[in-house]
Amino acid sequence: MNFTNFQIQSENLPKVENVELKLISKSYFKIIAFNKLIFYAALIGFVVLAKYSLDIIKEIEINLWYILPFIIGFCILNFIIALLAFKKRKYAIREHDVLYAKGLLIHSMITVPMSRIQHVEESRSWLARHFGLAALKIFTAGEAGSDLIINGLPHLEAKQIKELISAKVNGNN
Amino acid sequence: METTDFSQPIRQSSKGIIVIFVFNVFKFFKKFFVLFIALGLSIMRGKSFGKITPNLILLSLLTILIIILVIAILKYINFKFHLNQDDFHLATGIINKDKIIIPMSKIQNVYITQNFLQQLINVVSVKIDTAGDKKSEIEISALDKSKALLLKKKLFTKNKSENNVEEAEGQRDVFFKVSPKRLVLEGLSQNHLKSLLGIVAFVFGLYHEFKDYLKQLRLQERIEDFIKQDEDTVLNLLITNAVIIVAVILFSFLFSVIKTFIINFNLEVVEHQKTLEINKGLFNKVSLSLTPSRIQNLVIKTNRVKKYFGLHSLSVRQAMVNAKQQKNFNIVALEKEQLNYLITKLLGDYTETGEKSRPQSYFMRIAALKMLFFIIISNGLVVFLFGKEMLWINVLFIPYAILYIYFSYKKAYYIISNDFVTIGSGFIDTTTNILEIHKIQAVRLKETIFQERRDIASVIISTASKAATIPYINKLEALSIYNFLLYKIESQDRDWM
Repeated sequence: MNFTNFQIQSENLPKVENVELKLISKSYFKIIAFNKLIFYAALIGFVVLAKYSLDIIKEIEINLWYILPFIIGFCILNFIIALLAFKKRKYAIREHDVLYAKGLLIHSMITVPMSRIQHVEESRSWLARHFGLAALKIFTAGEAGSDLIINGLPHLEAKQIKELISAKVNGNN
Repeated sequence: METTDFSQPIRQSSKGIIVIFVFNVFKFFKKFFVLFIALGLSIMRGKSFGKITPNLILLSLLTILIIILVIAILKYINFKFHLNQDDFHLATGIINKDKIIIPMSKIQNVYITQNFLQQLINVVSVKIDTAGDKKSEIEISALDKSKALLLKKKLFTKNKSENNVEEAEGQRDVFFKVSPKRLVLEGLSQNHLKSLLGIVAFVFGLYHEFKDYLKQLRLQERIEDFIKQDEDTVLNLLITNAVIIVAVILFSFLFSVIKTFIINFNLEVVEHQKTLEINKGLFNKVSLSLTPSRIQNLVIKTNRVKKYFGLHSLSVRQAMVNAKQQKNFNIVALEKEQLNYLITKLLGDYTETGEKSRPQSYFMRIAALKMLFFIIISNGLVVFLFGKEMLWINVLFIPYAILYIYFSYKKAYYIISNDFVTIGSGFIDTTTNILEIHKIQAVRLKETIFQERRDIASVIISTASKAATIPYINKLEALSIYNFLLYKIESQDRDWM
């Protein structure tokens, strides 16, 4: 069969673009926001600290206050993008594969067939436990690029998916 | 008479002490290389660090060597291995005793290698690769060759006996043996840009490292004096420059040829019933076997000059082989027919039929952006290092960039057939990447926010060895490829390994 043949046939193939992707739990954004807040707070704190310690030395004449608006501006931009990108984090479980899409500036959609999954893991950080969330980690035999991590699933759902995949993976072998 | 049935715990050949000793000494010196250089320099200057005299240094060096020797002997004594019904047992460690048991069925590959020292004392080392992570490789560093071959055979036959893979080990068919002439051609026709850059970087690094020392030798002043004498005529300066350039180019040619020669010396491909065996190397002899079921990608490389001489190189990417060994699965200087034969042998019924499709012209835009970035960076570097006079080098950079954009677009294509994906790429080299659809691990569709508006996307195909990318194609086509590949993987239910 050659390429043109495949195009005719491709009309009848199950289409990934028709799959209804599900959004991840909204409270995961709180975790993203929290992590970012800590990062920027640390950054601003560092700048302020540097300013004061440099004032004492008085050798390098850089006005660090000019840097602060940049950081804050960047922080706000980062938050807006994170909020918009959050809506792109979607997943779906099909009969034979797992789909996960993410990214605003660089959007990517990865599909891992069930038959290629080596093992599944469900992990919960301290914050995730607090919000009743869990992360689902799906490992294949491929390079790091083909592993799949779905963050911010409701705990119960993550558990169900994990069991479903485990059953499928073990059933195949 | 020694037992060679491996059922009793045995040590390696007693020459192993030498191998371990030399290896550890080498490692030690490599670790403290900078320190030794510093010490050596200060001695040469006639200074001494505090109260350290040359004699004291010699004495401490001797002590260190003796300590390493004792460790090597202890290591040798404590290194024992044996085979039983289905497992390979290994006991190591001087203070911390390690006992390693590897089930024979989990052994992925057995390599026999022989470095220069081992060639001198006539032993080989056996490396056992398991399916675990990168560090799980086991090495027995000194065995007699006959013993090593026997061990390899035992490890493999027990492993594969139910698959009937290595049944007909007896017949040994040397399928391909490279001639020195072809190796020289292979070395000459390599992409010299890379080795040139390597040499420049190396010289620069050396210069940086020994700047202070060179200053003391007043080399710079001498060179300047030398140049000043000739500076009367511009012609002379030009000639000097030309001589330097020709020398560097000749050097990089020589470098490539020698490197190719050392790595691929006596390269031969031996055909067994189902597997292939590769033997090669001058100082570091390696012997590897290839199992078709574990192959993930085949990468074929050639370039315009090589094509003229009929030289093709084939590198085989396998699953669960560590990066260091991966480099060795490379067969160079193959004729076109030999190459085709090997591909059929490894992949079954591969044919390069099917319609060649090409990326969108957006590909050129990205290539142009890349080149713009490259030119800006390199101009910055040039101005920073040599000053504004060197900006004439853009005469070389800009044609390079234009050629890059043109050729890399011209050479990019992809073919999707029933069982295989073929992706072509390259600028100076022509690279063809072939992978089997049923060995795909995951498929990814990627588009940036700018590509989304133009309906352009890339498809990234991950296998157990390396990802391959079909770049910048129409989004509808990308989606149909995506769907087709998934359908193929999921409907066939074929094992990927």
